[in-house]
Amino acid sequence: MSARLIDMPTLETERLILRGPKLEDYAAWETFMASPRAQYVGGPVGQHEAWRAFGHLVGLWALRGHGAFIITQKGNDQGLGTVGPWLPIDWPEPEIGWTCWEPRLEGTGMMYEASRAALDYVFHTLKWETAVSYIDPENPRSVALAKRLGAHHDTKAKGPHPDDHVYRHAVPERLI
Amino acid sequence: MTVSFKIPELLTRDLRLRLPRMDDFETYAAFRGSQRSATVGGPFSVEQAFGSLAEIIGQWQLRGYGRWLVADRASDEPLGIIGHYHPMDWPEVEIGWSLFNQAEGRGVATQAAKAVRQYTHETLKWAPIASLITDENTRSRALAERLGCSPEDTFAHPTFGALRIWRHPMGQDDVLEAVQ
Repeated sequence: MSARLIDMPTLETERLILRGPKLEDYAAWETFMASPRAQYVGGPVGQHEAWRAFGHLVGLWALRGHGAFIITQKGNDQGLGTVGPWLPIDWPEPEIGWTCWEPRLEGTGMMYEASRAALDYVFHTLKWETAVSYIDPENPRSVALAKRLGAHHDTKAKGPHPDDHVYRHAVPERLI
Repeated sequence: MTVSFKIPELLTRDLRLRLPRMDDFETYAAFRGSQRSATVGGPFSVEQAFGSLAEIIGQWQLRGYGRWLVADRASDEPLGIIGHYHPMDWPEVEIGWSLFNQAEGRGVATQAAKAVRQYTHETLKWAPIASLITDENTRSRALAERLGCSPEDTFAHPTFGALRIWRHPMGQDDVLEAVQ
């Protein structure tokens, strides 16, 4: 029998398509990871580290059965960021993570739209019972997004890094 | 729409080359955390080792070819990693290999490398492929010589330094029993 990697679903929102990552996304990822915009996700890093990180992002789909989606606008397949389940080996619990590669997305509500869809996906499709986002408190945009999503700062929970703030997302009411 | 694919498994007399799985991680992390991996960018923390194992699988998805986990055909014990390694900063795709700590001295690397080379030639029909090895990595260099590779120029990598390009002879291997 041949090995078989995991299916990657596609999520659709009003303005966006969230799909699995592919090679064509790598160039934009590398640019993002080399830029100061990546400072809250381990960057900036050079090409070898960026490739490893992208491979990691893709491979998590196979190892975990879920992973980060690439954010695209309807009608244009260009990758603009990532959003979705994130569970490396050293994460205390499953996270909804996000990266925004394009400054022009800021202020459009599209990161909210994407992360809202990712939360619906993990609670309704993957049947997660809880979800957190680990956020550097110095990252005001991510803190604002977590709050807009209805997450609260869980001061008792620990993140993967000592300085992380843990934002715990609200579980949809009909699942409680 | 879903994205899915299969990767081919290569079978030799003693080995099965298959996709790495979560339950290979402990063995992989032990190797990646040891001094043995110093010649291939290590040693790695557990977090880095996990990223690296995921990257192996991720490259299959991204490029359609990649590296296999070398398992003992009878017991499925993980013995090493081998296959087509092609990060964005490499000059060309190479056959890269790593043998785990306990798999030394059993002819595993030679048999696995010949299997990958035969598959590269007969199934993928690629031109003669290279392996990139630092001159200080005497074990890998000895394997390249045993495999009949010819040394060419070095490639200067910003992090890893000078990597010697060893060019493989093609069309001489006969170790594959099946490709599944």
